[in-house]
This record gives sequence, structure tokens and C-alpha cells, in this order.
Amino acid sequence: MLAYARKLSIPRRNPAFRHTGLNLPMTTQPQEWNILLGRVAAQRDRAAFAALFAHFAPRVKAYLLRLGASPALAEDLAQEALLNLWRKAHLFDPAKASAATWLFTIARNLRIDAIRRERRPELDPEDFQPEAAPAADDGLAMADDEARLRAALKELPADQIQVVELSFFADKPHSQIAAELDIPLGTVKSRLRLAMARLKRALGNETWGSAGDAP
Amino acid sequence: MSGPAHHPSEELLLAYASGAADEATGLIMAVHLAYCAACRMQSRELEALGGCLLQELPPVPLSGGALDAALLKLDGIKPFERAARPVSRDGTPAVLRRYIGGDLSEVRWRQVGPHLAYVPLFRRGVATARLLRGVAGAETGAHRHAGLEYTIVLKGGFSDETGSYAPGDLQVMEGDMRHNPVADAGEDCINLAVTTGRLRFESLLQRIAAPLFGF
Repeated sequence: MLAYARKLSIPRRNPAFRHTGLNLPMTTQPQEWNILLGRVAAQRDRAAFAALFAHFAPRVKAYLLRLGASPALAEDLAQEALLNLWRKAHLFDPAKASAATWLFTIARNLRIDAIRRERRPELDPEDFQPEAAPAADDGLAMADDEARLRAALKELPADQIQVVELSFFADKPHSQIAAELDIPLGTVKSRLRLAMARLKRALGNETWGSAGDAP
Repeated sequence: MSGPAHHPSEELLLAYASGAADEATGLIMAVHLAYCAACRMQSRELEALGGCLLQELPPVPLSGGALDAALLKLDGIKPFERAARPVSRDGTPAVLRRYIGGDLSEVRWRQVGPHLAYVPLFRRGVATARLLRGVAGAETGAHRHAGLEYTIVLKGGFSDETGSYAPGDLQVMEGDMRHNPVADAGEDCINLAVTTGRLRFESLLQRIAAPLFGF
């Protein structure tokens, strides 16, 4: 179970900053991580990188451990994920995702490469026309969406959080999740459907969470 | 512009976003997303959910020297550049081109019955990905499935007992469902199909031929 009630904590005296002596803002606002990522992209800002590393590398490591990586591999891949952030920072688009979401996709793909020895077929940016010209405040709109998503996630009943979490952190089909929780498959599916419907409402997206044929 | 009419279930979208989907299923999803703005949006929102979950995971500290080791590597890392991709002449999605090794119009078809041809793409575990081509206006061969079959239309269209399918539409057949797809008149129908388990054709000729071709 995630520590949803636990306040997000970054140590006030963040060891990341000992390297630089810079006094970067200590904050957990998603927009601030986006700004640090923007600094890495634009100025190759090492202090910003160190701050992102200190916050996200231990979370990426935790994610990989959940998915069954050995501690040594989880550590290597967490470091690799953050080096990928340095390598690809100029591709980060705050209108499409937050820094946390972007890192999640990096960690997810590294794990598929390294542990499953497959690749994840990625939609190529050339394969579609962007939906609309991005507005200047799209990044804010996305950060806003994610803030609402996080708030809604914390409001979910424990049994619904559990199946959402297992869907991301178990790498198992729902049938196997059902077997391990010792509940019927239909229960896993209905809990997930309820959770998705609530998250959808939080986003004000009425199309999300519908079954089967009509997104 | 309206998008496809037949979409993946939320469960499939979730499996793709979380990284649980196998490579063959992932390819089906990536190709559908190339056609479908609505599912691209849902996919982004599900990734944002992954970002929220990552953000909320109790962090697991890396070893003491991990940040220093990462900082030492930064100078040696060149910004990532997307490799130049040849432009498709017939609109084949780039994600699919990587598996075909070129455009749809360039593949070498193998006949498996009077009205059906195929090209093997890859097999991973129990899942097999193939291109299928049905002759315009013809029945391609009634069959049953032992497992799952995902079919996505790339060119032309087809109809069967479950409905009509046009480019970008995804059909999911599971269990022991039987269907008898008929390609639309006018243009050969080209599909990407992923199957687990064997197909059982009803015609004697195809029943004899199919195993020879690995169906």
C-alpha cells in the first residue's frame, strides 16, 4: 500500500545541493520539477539535475523494486533513468506530461528493455497530427490535471487503490492479480472500473472509463 | 475528422500505459493510437496516473555515491537525437514500419488459401504478430480461436458477425468465438493481427495448409 497519507518529504537540507552551494527552492509542486527539467534542457544546469536526481531516483528505484528487480539492478536502472533525463531533457514537453509522468515513462521503458528484453512499441510523433496548436498555458493545464488526479487517487477506497497500484506495479494480468488477492476476476475488474470512473470525474473527462468500444 | 469506431478496452489501454502489455499487444495499441486521437488522450491520462503513483511511492535511497557517480557521467552524454526515419510513401505508421522493415506496399505476401495472404512479423512467447491481406469482396476463411486475436485494419475494411471495421478499428476476439470475415469490395483489406493460440479454419484446404504456415 502506498503511503498516501504521508506528507511528501524532501529533506530541507537536501544533500543534492552540497555539490553546488545553490539554494534552489525546496518544493514538491509539479510545476517546480518541470522548471528544473527546463533548466536541465536549456542550460545543462547540474544543480537542477542534482535536485531532480535526489527526488526522483529513489522513487524510480522503489518502482523497479516493486516490479521485481533486484536491488542492484533497480539501482543501476534508476541511475540510468536519470541519465536519460539528462540526455533527453530537450524533448520534454510540459504540455504533454509532468516531470514525474515523463520519468515514469522512461523508467517503464527501461524496465521493459532490461528485464523483459523486449521493446515497447512507441507511437512515433510522425504518425499523427498534433490535436491542436499547444496553448501557452497547456503546461499549467496539465499540471492542474495531475494535481486533481493525485487528490482523487488519495480519496479512493483502499481496495480500489490496491488494484490500480497492482495494475502499474505488478506486471501481471488481472486474472493473476485476482488469484493472488484471492478474489474473483470480476471483482478486480469492477474495482478497477469504479476507480477509473472516479479518476475520470476528477479530470472532468466524461469519456474516460467507459467500457469496451467507446472511449 | 472522425476517428475509428472500434476502440481498445480500458484494460488494454491500461496494460499499454503501465508497461504490462507484451510487445505484440503493444504494437497493436501503438498502431491504433496512430489513428485515434481519443485513445491517445486516454493513454496520456493513464500515463499521468503512472506518474502520480511514482511520485507517491515511498522512496528507497540509492547507495551513497550514486549521485556523484551520475554527475561524473554527465559531461560524456550527448543530447539524444531522434534517428532520421525514411518517409513512408503509402502512409504506413512509422511504429509499424520498424517491424516490417519498410512500407506495406513493399512486403512479400505468402498465400494461405485462395483469398488470404500473410506476412509473419514476429513471435514473442505465446503471441504472434502478422500482416494479413484479404482479397477485396472475398471471404477470407471462417475460423475459430483457441486464444485471443487482436486485429487492426490498416487498409480497406472488412465485416463479420460482430460488425464492420475500417482503418484504425480494433477487433478483439477471444475464447472460442467463430467469425467469417469478408473483405470490403473495392480494395484488398490489409490488417495487422496478433494471436495467442492457434486459429482453426473450417475449410479443409486451409486446415491442412495453416499449420504449415505456423497458424
